[in-house]
Amino acid sequence: MLVLPMALIALYSITRHGNSIISFSLTLEHYVKFFTDPDFLTVLTRSLWIAFKTTVICLILGYPIAYYISRSREKMQGILLMCITIPTWINMLVRTYAWIGIMSEGGILSTILSFFGLGDFELLYTETAVLIGMVYNFLPFMILQINTSLCKMDHSLLEASADLGATPVRTFTRVTFPLSLPGVISGINLVFLPAVSSFFIPKLLGGGQYFLIGNLIENQFITVGEWNFGSAISMIMAVIMMLMMMAVNKIETRNAGGKEE
Amino acid sequence: MKKNRRIFGTVLLTLAIIFFYLPIVYMIVFSFNDSKSLTAFTGFSLRWYEHMLESRDMMQSLYTTFSIAIISTVVSTVAGTIAAIGISKSRKIVRDVMEQVNNLPIMNPDIVTAIGFMLLFITFRVEKGYMTMLLAHIAFCIPFVMLSVMPKIRSLDPNLADAAMDLGATPWQSLIKVIVPQITPGIVSGALIAFTMSVDDFIISYFVTGSGVKNLSIMVYTMSKRVNPSINAISTLVVVIIFIALIVINVTSAIMAKREKKAEIGKRKWVLPTIAIILVLAIGIGATSFGQTSSSLPFAGETLYIYLPGEYMGEDIVSDFEAYTGATVVVENFESNEQMYIKVANGGNYDLLIPSDYMIERLIQEDLIQKLDQSKLDCMPKIVDNIKGMPYDPQNEYGIPYFWGTVGIIYDTTVVDEEDLENDGFAVFLNEKYKGNIYLYDSERDSFMMALKNLGYSMNTESEEELSAAYNWLVKCVETMEAQIVTDEIIDNMINGRKALGLIYSGDATYVMSENEDMGFYMPNEGTNQWVDAMVIPKNAKNPDLAYEFMNFITNYEAAYDNSSWVGYTSPNRDVMNDLFGPDGDYEGIDAYIPRTDNENDEAFCYNDRTRKIMSNLWSKVKIAASNAE
Repeated sequence: MLVLPMALIALYSITRHGNSIISFSLTLEHYVKFFTDPDFLTVLTRSLWIAFKTTVICLILGYPIAYYISRSREKMQGILLMCITIPTWINMLVRTYAWIGIMSEGGILSTILSFFGLGDFELLYTETAVLIGMVYNFLPFMILQINTSLCKMDHSLLEASADLGATPVRTFTRVTFPLSLPGVISGINLVFLPAVSSFFIPKLLGGGQYFLIGNLIENQFITVGEWNFGSAISMIMAVIMMLMMMAVNKIETRNAGGKEE
Repeated sequence: MKKNRRIFGTVLLTLAIIFFYLPIVYMIVFSFNDSKSLTAFTGFSLRWYEHMLESRDMMQSLYTTFSIAIISTVVSTVAGTIAAIGISKSRKIVRDVMEQVNNLPIMNPDIVTAIGFMLLFITFRVEKGYMTMLLAHIAFCIPFVMLSVMPKIRSLDPNLADAAMDLGATPWQSLIKVIVPQITPGIVSGALIAFTMSVDDFIISYFVTGSGVKNLSIMVYTMSKRVNPSINAISTLVVVIIFIALIVINVTSAIMAKREKKAEIGKRKWVLPTIAIILVLAIGIGATSFGQTSSSLPFAGETLYIYLPGEYMGEDIVSDFEAYTGATVVVENFESNEQMYIKVANGGNYDLLIPSDYMIERLIQEDLIQKLDQSKLDCMPKIVDNIKGMPYDPQNEYGIPYFWGTVGIIYDTTVVDEEDLENDGFAVFLNEKYKGNIYLYDSERDSFMMALKNLGYSMNTESEEELSAAYNWLVKCVETMEAQIVTDEIIDNMINGRKALGLIYSGDATYVMSENEDMGFYMPNEGTNQWVDAMVIPKNAKNPDLAYEFMNFITNYEAAYDNSSWVGYTSPNRDVMNDLFGPDGDYEGIDAYIPRTDNENDEAFCYNDRTRKIMSNLWSKVKIAASNAE
């Protein structure tokens, strides 16, 4: 059940006329087509770039929040974590849909901004809108992951570090942060991956002119009907993702290895 | 210094919480809005709640979402835990391989997983519906459960189970009494992630569903094309359900904790009751929505499966038809003709489809729809003559028109100079005077139609040269005009007068003009697309007789009137069309409502597989060019 779907995609991506598996002929033309077309490569880099930006923003915002939560009293912690989890139980699309109203021209955001004299500029259907939508949807994952690893940490380590004369900053960079790294890594995983492939956030908030790799794949399958080419793009994307995640996880293991020495 | 940091933390957290809840509060507030607008609150009203409660579709989607989430959480938690324990007991090589395999779906982008499942179900010819959606959800939740259980198992002492068995416990007992309690936190957080993933999922459900089964995400996705505040109402209901569940759980677990004085595990005890309560609620909702009694009407107990574009039927049509025939109607919406085609061509089961002309031609070519039995139909005489014998169905053998119209330009009469429209035709979209002030419509066909017509070609051209000229026309438009490519948001946006010009279907223009008097509709003389959406019966329909009944019903004066007046598209029923346009009609004097039939440059789309592919590929390149232009 887990491997079969992937195997099918891999099969489709190297065959022609994929709608029946009986009469297939092997080919690599779909891959060649993708890599020789600058437009597709632009879409790929743009998707990776916006996912990267989303991840960085989530990390910058999420880490302090998670840190703050992990420092509060236990009862408070539970409540705060609930506050962050609840929105994720309300469907992602529904929440994204609400942003359309907030960000559209004449919506509350532009009303507030124009009140402060920032002008009645248009937010919806811009890259910023897509970015806000993505950060909004994926930030809770980052916070929860980092928070889990921060809570697991033995607090006496911090005291020990302080006792040994480390400044708070040094304690943070040498003790707290390295120990929370697993949480950071899995947070990055949980933010970056969905951000690259998301297709409804760009579609709803970026408008039709904001075209990411997820939209390209959807478009190939649904509108164009080129399942083989669509599968090839999916494969390329999956491989890139896996390589990236492996690289990120390497950092983690190297770090863990260094600690043991 | 330390204090500063605390304040900084508090401020940041407060801002984060505001950020998280802003859309939710916004949604709740606007669910009580009197008007359809998403930006202006015009007054308090409960009409969207009434609308939601009346809509069986919405209530069912709520039921589907929660029942799937709960079942898949339970199943995947149990399966994932067992699998994780099993893997931990196997040899190292097996374990490593299994862990890699388990990471596959997590590392894969959602859309890839979704497509994998779709291909899987199609290859094995599994009929898509509730079961496929459930299976897919279980399958994609298991890895998340395993991922959070595995570290806990790894940190267990491997001798623990042996110790338990040495002390006389059976393997089962040692599992349940010793191992499971040790790894409970992992199981709980795994279950939570699974539940969240399932509730949140859109992409996977979207690709694996069928036979009218939809969860909230799919519902919202198909409905969000037109502004429909009922979405806010149903979301508010979800919020309320979740909060009630949480309060009940917290109160009961507090009582329980007091009674048992077991504070240390009381903290996470709310999960099981949550699930139980949501389950009860979901079943309750399900029971009310399914609890319908049948009677002695002609089609009592039978079901009609209709597949049509989103927001394309008057709100009372289904209930009226059910009252009239006794049958149950299951409506499924598609977002585009192409999406419908994939489902139908891969064995989707429907009794009635409402595709567009060119797609009907394709369905006929591929032998997917049946010839109509004219003896069962009484509607042909009522239908406007202009839409009989169209090229897609010259003998009217396959389809009964449902709505029809043209494509034209909607414009703000207070901004746009009508002379520009007369002089430029569709090239007004290249007129720099309106730079940053135009909407294009996200449809490759109609965009190419506009460009081809403006260049003086046929919109059914097969010449690659002409197509690439049209492509250059469109690229120039998105690169120089800061065009926004939208779909049905254009309706709400033009009602609010947000841009000066837009490419639009005549039916949508009718609706916009009925809401905003400043808007006008213009059809260039160089010609436009004259289209018909018609009802057809697929070859594999299970209940064609009921489909015939529906065709007769919907073309009858009353139903056709309700339908057209609600949606705004032009009715094929001659009398309805004239009455709605005539004195005291809903669309009195709105010229967009009566499609142009006397311009010889107007054409209907024909189906050609090669040009279709060229057009859609070029259109995605136009969109890429548009994103580059930003």
